[in-house]
Amino acid sequence: MTTPPMAQLAGPAGAEAAFRTGRRRRAVTTAGRVLANPLSAIGLVLALVLILIALAAPLLVPYDPLTIDAANRLLPPSPTHPFGTDEAGRDIFSRVLYGTRPSLLAATVILGLASVVGTVIGLVAGFRGGRVDELLMRLTDMFLAFPALVLAMGAAAALGPSFFNAMIAIAIVWWPWYARLVRGQVLHLKHELFVDAARVAGASERRIVLRHILPNCWTPIIVQMSLDVGYAILTMASLSFIGLGAQPPAPEWGAMVAVGRDYILDQPWYVAFPGMAIFVAVMAFNLLGDGLQEALSPRWRR
Amino acid sequence: MALLALEDLTVRFRTRGGTVHAVNGVSFDLEAGETLGLVGESGCGKTATGLAMLRLLPRPAGRVEGGRVVFAGRDLLSLSEAEMRDLRGREIAMVFQDPMTSLNPVLTIGTQLIETLVAHRQLRGAAARGRAIELLEIVGIPQAARSLRRYPHQFSGGMRQRVMIAIALALAPRLLIADEPTTALDVTIQAQVLELIEELTRESGTAVILITHDLGVVAGRTQRICVMYAGFVVETATTRQLFAAPRHPYTVGLLHSIPRPQATGIGELIPIEGAPPEQLTAPSGCPFAPRCAWRIAACWVDNPALVPLTRDGTVAGEVVNTGPQATHRLACHNPASAEEARAGRPLRPGFEAAPPPTDILAVQPAGSAA
Repeated sequence: MTTPPMAQLAGPAGAEAAFRTGRRRRAVTTAGRVLANPLSAIGLVLALVLILIALAAPLLVPYDPLTIDAANRLLPPSPTHPFGTDEAGRDIFSRVLYGTRPSLLAATVILGLASVVGTVIGLVAGFRGGRVDELLMRLTDMFLAFPALVLAMGAAAALGPSFFNAMIAIAIVWWPWYARLVRGQVLHLKHELFVDAARVAGASERRIVLRHILPNCWTPIIVQMSLDVGYAILTMASLSFIGLGAQPPAPEWGAMVAVGRDYILDQPWYVAFPGMAIFVAVMAFNLLGDGLQEALSPRWRR
Repeated sequence: MALLALEDLTVRFRTRGGTVHAVNGVSFDLEAGETLGLVGESGCGKTATGLAMLRLLPRPAGRVEGGRVVFAGRDLLSLSEAEMRDLRGREIAMVFQDPMTSLNPVLTIGTQLIETLVAHRQLRGAAARGRAIELLEIVGIPQAARSLRRYPHQFSGGMRQRVMIAIALALAPRLLIADEPTTALDVTIQAQVLELIEELTRESGTAVILITHDLGVVAGRTQRICVMYAGFVVETATTRQLFAAPRHPYTVGLLHSIPRPQATGIGELIPIEGAPPEQLTAPSGCPFAPRCAWRIAACWVDNPALVPLTRDGTVAGEVVNTGPQATHRLACHNPASAEEARAGRPLRPGFEAAPPPTDILAVQPAGSAA
């Protein structure tokens, strides 16, 4: 068999480069599909704006979010204070901008912890099967048996009210969903012919799980995570609202709404702006999650 | 000594519905470089035999419950899992029926091909990629270097099966088990893929077990054939002998089921009525009896053993297991004669062909319960 000239030119080095461009191209086409749908494009843009605000908050805010200005308490929105001021004269606009930081940080930490723990447990349960599976799945069922928010409240209360503890508490109630998701994937993937084919080629169990099964779980995990970001932000805000998360006067949306509740009749903008921020963030990530789900769905793989 | 010797291999599947007697004491030998066709309908134990050899029966249901698989002097059933893993891919490779699902959809062709090379050989990095490109060229994938970074869904079925063959033969194994390698492919591609397997294994001296339900597939491509039914080998001979003088009614039935009469020299297309048994119990008589037009009273009560025949059809003296002089063996109480094999039905004066299985439920003799 003769060697085609193409291959002689490219050689192994060409193959190396080819690998990298292939991966990049795939990421680009996925982004393109997300942008093709106007709703998910809005979600993506809003999410990027939120991330940008979180990163650049100190450069964007007109006032320090914690500085008290007793002379300018509870001012309505005006050119100097676009969102008004709170009961200590702090600028709500600056505080809302700063509020993106704890929200996005919380979402990242919660989903990071939950997905890693859940994925490991799901992989082990699904692949090992039998008694191990039974044990791990009954454990996850125990967690799922409680309403998530109630369990998170209990855990946060037990750990002591603080922003950090609230994140841990929410992660504790969140991982079972990932465990179930991944286990379900593994149960169907481990009977795929390519797993047998890998065995026939002499791959070890570890290699099969990490190299063949796990990469096939990425898409559902990523989609689930992007759909969950909004809920994680909302749950975190809820815990802060009832006093189990970020503590006032920290610039956190839930905590701000909690304090602003006292002024809701006379200074409605106080709760309205952090509330809007929660709404916008949750919606942005939900739209993006839906778009990603669509873009990564198997029907594109043709 | 033979490269591979299956001795009385017995496989059972324990399922909720009962124990399936998938493979019931199958024995055959294979020399280095020899090609053997394992032929029979779906569910007759061909694939279970192949998977049992590699110790890849689906657990926990499937189990080897007896016999030995001796490969190059070692009993595979007693090796450790680590030894077995080392052997798979390097010494024994397998190609599956469905190329659409036997490649991992999220990994590139290159990753999967290189994986096999890296797992067993000290090839790494650029050397492994270079070898992978070479292998893709050998199996006839155009633009091999570019194809390495393609994903399986960018390939047609035939191309994917070529990739599977490249992976299987990447390490020049001594035995290739090809399980229905062309069943899922277009007819036009089937011959190409079979020729590719034939050509590559001949060059490397790899022995091949070609599992298929289609006698037409093995016709010109294997040296010997084992016909399996319900987990038993019912007839085995050199391919030439089996096509020239089939004796088992099931083999005759299979030959008459090939829709290419001129190629096989057998005229009429005659389907085998009924379906293989469920094998939930060990058969009391010949498992093919319910579907067999040649059956006699003994078929219901006694499962015939696989015994050697000479060319004239009598029991042989000296027995050869492998090679072009391999002894024709048959498990049948009432074998078809040459004329009957050509006609596809019993022709003897005074012998009445048994009714097809759809009619026998009512008339099944009392002996069948024994």
